Amino acid sequence: MTDSAPRPASRPDPASAPEPPSGPAPGRGEGLGVFDKALLDRCISCGFCLPACPTYSLTRQEPSSPRGRITLMRALESGDLAPDDPTLAEESSFCLGCRACETVCPAGVEYGRLLEQWRDHQWQGRDRPLIARLLMAVVSRPWLLRLQGLVRRHARDRRAARGRRLAHGEREQAVSLMLGCVERGLYPSVSRAVRELRPEVTVPSGQGCCGALHAHNGDSAAGAEMARALGERLPGTVVTTSGGCAAHLAHHLGRDRVRELSDYLERTGHRPAGRVTVGGRPARVALQDSCHLRNGLGVTRPPRELVAAVADYVELPGAGDCCGAAGTYAMLRPDDSRAVLDPKLEALRKLDVDYVVAVNPGCLRQLRQGLRRTRSRTKAVHLAELLAMAARSEPEGEPDPEPDPGQGTVAGPAEG
Amino acid sequence: MHTHAETDPAGRRAGDPAGSPPGDLAGDLAAIVGRDHVRTDDGALAAYARDATPLFHARPQAVVLPGCTEEVAAVLRYATERGVPVVPRGAGSNLCAATVPLRGGIVMVLTRLDRILEVSPAELLARVQPGVTTTALADAAAREGLLYAPDPGSRTVSTVGGNVATCAGGLRGLKYGVTRNHVLGLEAVLPTGEVVRTGGRLWKDVAGYDLTRLLTGSEGTLAVITEATVALLPAPEETGTGVAYFDSLADASRAVAAVIADGIVPATLEFLDRKCVSAVEEFAGLGLRRDAGALLLFGDDGSRRTVAGTLARIGEVCQGAGALEVTLAEDVARADALLAARRCSLPALSRLGSLTILEDATVPRHRLAEMVDRIDETADRHDLRIATFGHAGDGNLHPTCVLDPDDGEGAERAHRAFAEIFAAAIALDGTITGEHGVGAAKLPYLADRIGDDQVALLRRIKKAFDPAGILNPGKLGS
Repeated sequence: MTDSAPRPASRPDPASAPEPPSGPAPGRGEGLGVFDKALLDRCISCGFCLPACPTYSLTRQEPSSPRGRITLMRALESGDLAPDDPTLAEESSFCLGCRACETVCPAGVEYGRLLEQWRDHQWQGRDRPLIARLLMAVVSRPWLLRLQGLVRRHARDRRAARGRRLAHGEREQAVSLMLGCVERGLYPSVSRAVRELRPEVTVPSGQGCCGALHAHNGDSAAGAEMARALGERLPGTVVTTSGGCAAHLAHHLGRDRVRELSDYLERTGHRPAGRVTVGGRPARVALQDSCHLRNGLGVTRPPRELVAAVADYVELPGAGDCCGAAGTYAMLRPDDSRAVLDPKLEALRKLDVDYVVAVNPGCLRQLRQGLRRTRSRTKAVHLAELLAMAARSEPEGEPDPEPDPGQGTVAGPAEG
Repeated sequence: MHTHAETDPAGRRAGDPAGSPPGDLAGDLAAIVGRDHVRTDDGALAAYARDATPLFHARPQAVVLPGCTEEVAAVLRYATERGVPVVPRGAGSNLCAATVPLRGGIVMVLTRLDRILEVSPAELLARVQPGVTTTALADAAAREGLLYAPDPGSRTVSTVGGNVATCAGGLRGLKYGVTRNHVLGLEAVLPTGEVVRTGGRLWKDVAGYDLTRLLTGSEGTLAVITEATVALLPAPEETGTGVAYFDSLADASRAVAAVIADGIVPATLEFLDRKCVSAVEEFAGLGLRRDAGALLLFGDDGSRRTVAGTLARIGEVCQGAGALEVTLAEDVARADALLAARRCSLPALSRLGSLTILEDATVPRHRLAEMVDRIDETADRHDLRIATFGHAGDGNLHPTCVLDPDDGEGAERAHRAFAEIFAAAIALDGTITGEHGVGAAKLPYLADRIGDDQVALLRRIKKAFDPAGILNPGKLGS
């Protein structure tokens, strides 16, 4: 080798032991302790996640990609970036948390968990967005949840309401419908539809929030505690109509105890009855995946098969891409949320379907608002509503969507 | 000389005076490309301090994302006047630290230039901006019934500009060659701001030195590529894929030699050792056998009859060479899944240890088995876990050392081992890098491969293109 060939400044050199590229630097202790080191170490920065990331596709800038954000997390952990660095604050909030990156990551990086840890750091106390604080306060108060549910007439269950104690065997066999703190207020017809479809599902009273909202908004400890508490209150298998709640609960209660509705129906061999028709012809129906259902739990086939059983199923191009609802995101970052939604509205316009089905209340709200804004003829309905509509088998089956209470109510977040 | 060329940003911390832009770099760049397309915040500088290469890390002083050729030219003129280094970057998926700004300066990100300008079935070519991903180009070609042949493993991420700058290879190299075999012409901006168009839309054109080929693989040291015209082929009627298992990688290597000796040049001949198969299987869950010593993935494309014939013949040759089992993929989906699994070998391997040091030694095909043995022997001697996969058909190996992330001492041993592996490859008439590029990672070994006279020539070429030495300094020919 020629003597003038430069030796790269950062080539690992036993003599000078320069700073490593990632993770806590040697001699600086264990780092800041924000992140679980094993999770952070997993990423090798190959960049395979870039094409999957909705925010990277908006900006084409590395800091708003999963790989770039992990580099930022490492810089925070190692002290290369100050804990109050504005880019850290911005990027931890700009991320949708959709976890699409996890499905394409050959290295198996658990990005969703890293994001929770990151937000625990970024969104402490007053640094947490006001809207998120308000919503977290609301869902932490079961009486408030119950009140809005009662006012809006979500599904109720006299057996459970009587508070009969279940025997030990019964408890394990039980199937409990989780009401969801958003859905019971915004879309109470969804839980009623579930009861119509599957009367064996009980609706225990006194349900709290599952804690997904807390976990995704900077309080993962409370989020875990709430999930465990709800798990104790709901006997047996927990069925939820929210993909986001399902993923959060499954992480804390175990995958086998938690079933999102389509997953539950599939596993219990449900055969959807009836057909949904529009003007005498079968309805054309597309599906929008719930990010956490798809990316967190890997459930994609069951909702499609259920739709296909009662209508003409049409695959929405980009059905697996985030709709921009992303829990509190649509409220915290309305402009970015719309920018993420816009290509989907355009795809729906081209598809010109009668219905688009959501499997998560946040997605339902986001799609309804977007479709209304663009004066689309396509209606957004929850899977449970579509199936109930088919079962009622009215020739001109119209969904029974509740009038959307819109922005004025406190209810709103739904983890996608 | 340039003040910034002397700074070493590797160890810089946020808030260090050296980290602040010289003069008003941010303002000057914003005047060219607009405020939204310049980043000088510490977070962005940290994010652009690295690419997909482990252990290389250096912050720039600014990141600029130009939106057109004129803006690229204006930034380069500015940088040449001020002597500020400029490192062009696409998706940052390269594996040789080619886009790490070792001397600081400006990282010029070309991802905004992401338009496919033209796909011409009549002329069998496409014209694209540099930020278009390889997959986007391939898909656009496929919609016209055409094939863009180069398919580097990172194709879903990597950009065409980056592919050209590093002369990316891929899984179809054996039959179709690599990126350089498909670039017809380039538009490029010289560091001094002139826009040149090399080559064009012609397959035959000998007017002037072949600057298109010179720029292909120049790793951003000579000019910034702002447009590429690439050759397309009629899409083959059929693509088929098969899998053969062997006791060892050396056995698989001998089967590869036998296949080629039989007069077959299939599109794809890839192999993976047991460790790689295990890691890939864990991610992809394709039902691959984990008990065999090596897997050989073979594939061909063409007319239905040709493909069936080639695959059957390869199967026979593999059986004759001692294959444990040979199976053909039943359908296109299975074939695609196998190829996709092969492409993710490197990141999947990180499941064994997240510090993966990957190399790219390449030898003539008939010496593959010998090279594989040398790698194993070197790994044992240095007490390292080296998993090997690669493009067996073109002798291109990717021995990958897997370590725990904090194993600094292991990384040193790995670098000593790889120095020996490079020397072995050169001794077998091979090279230090087949397709990943030299970058910063393999620069110390470049002279061993090409000799001092050629290194000196590279320097003179570099000087002719880049008199101020601003483009990707510290890399090829600097």
